[in-house]
Amino acid sequence: MISRLAEHCFWLSRYIERAENTARLLEVNQNWLLDFDVPVDLQWKPLLIISGIHDYTGNLDKESILNFMTWDHENPCSIVSSMTQARENARVIREIISAEMWERLNYNYLWLQSNTAKDLYENNRYELYNQIKRINQLLQGIGESTMLRTEAWEFYQFGRHLERSGQTARILDVKYHMLQSNPDISGSNIEISYWTSILKSCSGYEPFLKHAQIIENQVGNAVAEFLILEESFPRSVLYCLKECLNSATSISYKSKSKISNSTIESLKTLNTWLSKDEIKQLIKVQLHSVLTNIVDNVHSISDSMTRTYFNFNPDDHIFENNEAEKVNY
Amino acid sequence: MGSQTSSSNRIVGIEDSSAIRQQSIFHTYKPHQNARDDLLDWDGKPHPHCKTLVDSIGKLSSNEFQDKRSAADLAFITQGITFSVYSDCRGVEKIFPFDLVPRPVEKKEWSRLEIGLKQRTKALNLFLFDVYHEQNILNDNVIPRDMVESSKGFRKEMIGFTPPGKQYIHIVGTDLIRNPDGEFLVLEDNCRTPSGVSYVIENRVVMKRIFPDLFKNIKVRRVEDYPQKLRDALSSVAPHNSGPNPRLALLTPGPFNSAYFEHTFLAGNMGIELVMGSDLFVHNDFVYMKTTGGPKRVDVIYRRVDDEFLDPKAFRTDSMLGVPNLFNAYLKGNVTIANAIGTGVCDDKAIYMYVEDMIRYYLAEEPILKNVPTYICSRKKDLSYVLDHLEELVVKAVNESGGYGMLMGPSSTAAQRSEFKEKIKANPRNYIAQPVVTLSACPTWTEEGLAPRHVDLRPYVVSGTDSWVLPGGLTRTALVKGSLVVNSSQGGGSKDTWVMETDV
Repeated sequence: MISRLAEHCFWLSRYIERAENTARLLEVNQNWLLDFDVPVDLQWKPLLIISGIHDYTGNLDKESILNFMTWDHENPCSIVSSMTQARENARVIREIISAEMWERLNYNYLWLQSNTAKDLYENNRYELYNQIKRINQLLQGIGESTMLRTEAWEFYQFGRHLERSGQTARILDVKYHMLQSNPDISGSNIEISYWTSILKSCSGYEPFLKHAQIIENQVGNAVAEFLILEESFPRSVLYCLKECLNSATSISYKSKSKISNSTIESLKTLNTWLSKDEIKQLIKVQLHSVLTNIVDNVHSISDSMTRTYFNFNPDDHIFENNEAEKVNY
Repeated sequence: MGSQTSSSNRIVGIEDSSAIRQQSIFHTYKPHQNARDDLLDWDGKPHPHCKTLVDSIGKLSSNEFQDKRSAADLAFITQGITFSVYSDCRGVEKIFPFDLVPRPVEKKEWSRLEIGLKQRTKALNLFLFDVYHEQNILNDNVIPRDMVESSKGFRKEMIGFTPPGKQYIHIVGTDLIRNPDGEFLVLEDNCRTPSGVSYVIENRVVMKRIFPDLFKNIKVRRVEDYPQKLRDALSSVAPHNSGPNPRLALLTPGPFNSAYFEHTFLAGNMGIELVMGSDLFVHNDFVYMKTTGGPKRVDVIYRRVDDEFLDPKAFRTDSMLGVPNLFNAYLKGNVTIANAIGTGVCDDKAIYMYVEDMIRYYLAEEPILKNVPTYICSRKKDLSYVLDHLEELVVKAVNESGGYGMLMGPSSTAAQRSEFKEKIKANPRNYIAQPVVTLSACPTWTEEGLAPRHVDLRPYVVSGTDSWVLPGGLTRTALVKGSLVVNSSQGGGSKDTWVMETDV
């Protein structure tokens, strides 16, 4: 497919995924704070850092942050910005995604700009964030049953999973860091609820309870292991990265291009590292450095995508004889 | 007692207003006094081919009609069938106003139009071949040589080159108007990159959704086949060396272009790639697109980019929308560009005057469709007439479209007229003038209910090795009372055009 359009597919799904994650984070955090008195620095600031915002100078109270992360057009990480970006990307490729997907996304974009959404924000935030999360879920479902399984689909899935793996790693990293820097909390009720809220931020609370083996006093470790390595959990880092690798392999196959490239190689290296036995020990003692490594690699995979697929350079290609190419087609 | 009275009054009041609400929307409709009405005759009775339509829509009360309007608007909005207005940084999106009352054309009249349009397109295509080769029509002094060579759309670079299939005008959108006698006249030819066809199709889709029963009772010709017909036509004139399955691409200026919706719509429905200039490149005189699987040759480019922006190496050097060396690949015969480069000479409103002569010259036939009488300001005699009669005339700049650069004499101010007088005197070649033709009118929803509003009609002719006329077209409607300007850029709307399948 046209390289530029592939890039739009990739970013379309990243932005929708991002909007969903932000909505979930805001909703979970607001709920968590209902139960506990925690220092101001621990209340809302971590959310900004998870989104990569380090230069925020506004108030740190709940209303300011919620408004900033939900409605602020100047904030590139706000839900409304993510949705606007998603919709702009979708508009460019509306003939590539299915008509149903486009209509649903456009409808939701317009809904988010409407007074209905604003009223919901004033009167029932829980429901507002739920509906925002549902946008991605709906689109994924509509795509699942209507979108051609061409390269476009693979780029769409790649973007979604890459975004999700990075989000999960960042949520874990920032929250863990906050815990480390506030020793008062460790071992308290707050700590348990803190880990619970991390799980909920990743839609992982119930899956975790069903699945994980919890050794007493090691809840944190079990949560980290679950969110990073659990292959049956669709938001775990390893699950998402494996999906990325599947998509990358399908792209090579569907575009009839080279079987391997730098993106595929980086994914393989990262996945192999995460599948090693030692990784569990490493998570136990050096969680931050494990997560940093993941986040850095997710970044470099995204850059490598750009080089491999999106920035087309004619010099990288051997031109077949025109006649030969026609036969091929 | 008092309360009883007031409550009984209220009941009377409700009955009254519900009676009004249930009144047919045609109840208060008064056809235009001087314009032909496309639904009703001069006595206010439906034309035979409109009877079922008027009866059916006439059953609706104004409230019911309003509900259907809202449903139609919502359908356009959620589908994102909008155009952008760049008044602020985020851009406001508007829908192209759509009026629910269709504009029918009787079967017999359409057959005549079809033949007339094909005849006109054929002559225009022969004219292009001639002016870019032997120039017989100029040598025989049928059209002044100077007028063709001074035309902005004339591309001397095209002289001696023959596009694949000798086809220049793959798509033409001819603007027609219907005069008070019911005769269709040609107002202008659009041989460059006519737009609007996506609205023709989407209007129909929405109409079918809103009025499913209407289409059961009235047989209207389908318009939905257009993308496939266009695809077939373009494939039929692919370069000879492109093999059995030529690869087509639609070249768009990009998402910020106001017609971007149409570009995505057509590419999607034709099943071809939608590309920007930066997605293409030329290598050894062949055109390729940049794909994730490497370069892929492109055989036919349906371009929605103007001539001068197509290739910065051949035309405007500052163009960011084009493809360097595309023109070379074209001249080598390795790619078909639709429409061909240099068709703009036909859109020159002074050359339009000669299309009837072209038909006689090339086809030895009488033109079926007539032009609107036109004064060419570069002719001395015409110029003085125009300058003396500005109040009665419509003056147009020869290369403008979209209702820009024109003066509507009868509704102009003295200041506007003197401004135009100076402009015309300074550059007479750049202007033509026409008497005001009272365009036909169609019942259209307004704040006061149904009222007559003037309409035009843009049918589309698609040509590859054969020509095909889309049975329908874009009916554009002025929304302001009395206005004869229907262009969307001037606040006009559109209607679904119904070409009747049967004679009534």
